[in-house]
Amino acid sequence: MKYAYYPGCSLETSAKEYDVSARAVFRALGTELVDIPDWNCCGSSPAGAVDYLLSLALPARNLALAEQMGMDVVVATCSACYLSLYQVEQHCRRDASVRAQLSEVLGAAGLEYKGKVRVRHMLDVVANELGPEAVKAQQKRDLKGLKVVPYYGCQTVRPYMTYDAPDLPMSMDRLLEAMGAEVLPYSLKTRCCGGILITTAKDVGVKLVSDLLAATAGADCVVTVCPLCQMNLDAYQAEASRLLGRQVNIPVLYLTQLMGLAFDLPEDETMLYKNIVSPRPILDKLG
Amino acid sequence: MALEPFDLTHAKRDHGFAKTVAPDKGKLYTCIQCGTCTASCPTAFAMDYSPRQLMRMIQLGLYDDVLRSKTFWLCTTCYSCTVRCPRGISITETFQTLKRLSAAKGVEKKADSARFYRIFMDVVRRNGRMQETQTMAQWILRTNPFRALSFASLGLALLRKGKMSLLAHRIRGVDQIQAMYDKVREIEARQEGQR
Repeated sequence: MKYAYYPGCSLETSAKEYDVSARAVFRALGTELVDIPDWNCCGSSPAGAVDYLLSLALPARNLALAEQMGMDVVVATCSACYLSLYQVEQHCRRDASVRAQLSEVLGAAGLEYKGKVRVRHMLDVVANELGPEAVKAQQKRDLKGLKVVPYYGCQTVRPYMTYDAPDLPMSMDRLLEAMGAEVLPYSLKTRCCGGILITTAKDVGVKLVSDLLAATAGADCVVTVCPLCQMNLDAYQAEASRLLGRQVNIPVLYLTQLMGLAFDLPEDETMLYKNIVSPRPILDKLG
Repeated sequence: MALEPFDLTHAKRDHGFAKTVAPDKGKLYTCIQCGTCTASCPTAFAMDYSPRQLMRMIQLGLYDDVLRSKTFWLCTTCYSCTVRCPRGISITETFQTLKRLSAAKGVEKKADSARFYRIFMDVVRRNGRMQETQTMAQWILRTNPFRALSFASLGLALLRKGKMSLLAHRIRGVDQIQAMYDKVREIEARQEGQR
């Protein structure tokens, strides 16, 4: 099975380990992620705050290119990218005038979006199409004894209820359990990490991150599926520790990194050395 | 949150405001002020008006006070309110519209978020991709250069991990991106003319 793959801008630099581990995990599962050639930025939430039509046109170019590849499904790893791409389909369906305008804009670039390609989050494909059994079948190392907190973030499951529940999703929980990890209850699993606010309103962002980290007590690591979530939780633990008045030091891994670990993939495919808080204690624990 | 009462007799009001800002037109009028949006909002604690209060102000057409509010600039577009609203109002999208409206009217001059979004979109126009370092550097320079200090330790950590790139990747189809930006502007100017 081949999927058109949309890595998104973060996965080019700050979330390289997510990109590399996702490709490796899909390969191990007997599938392939094929890059959409010459893909562009999806616009993320800033586009929607600046221009509505542009916020649909930017992701639509990528979908048009994926259709040219003859692919049926586009897989997005970043949750913000996933939503931007998915929204194109939804908004075109909701409003015919949007669809007409969009095709005029794409026409200016010599492109056409037919609306045939489906957009899916990487988590959705792994959990619901490939499934926990297939993941288990590739497993070389048991995650038994590892206490994990699954953190889904917001746009992974909202606002469209396509493959999981918007408040209490379970798809990642099921994968982690299948690999033998102990999934701790985490009521903040879809509470927002603050996204870009950590830059534009740092105090507010740090407060959100601190609340999320405070509730992970007792876990060996946090598992995420979004580069914004991962960065915010991984890179601001010093600030969070100051605000909470106690030391927080918990590794924040991408689901695909942890799967890579379970599959016993080589170090240059899990890239655990890229995480800011060292995942060393996890490696030691798993032996 | 202590609030001064609004003088509805003398306030400037736009009775069609709710229809302008809500993508689902009249639906916003059905808000029953239950406060589920505020209770669900992760950043409500930092807002001047809570999401529920802002909804009421929109209904009342208090556009000046609404557009001057910090509330929607603190919206992270997490959609918690949207999926929980018992009336099915697209609150997040309404807040996105308010960001655009506020920026268009120039009310947001002081909003750092607005500048960030604008710079982000300019970087995308130039390269076809967002480039984290460029976006951050330009935003810091154009808002408050001293802010660089508070991001120094993050920058160092990212640099050490090879997570920061100074080079911008320009896509081959960047002329397509620019043609799309121009076409969007043309369509919007046309619509503005029809109004």
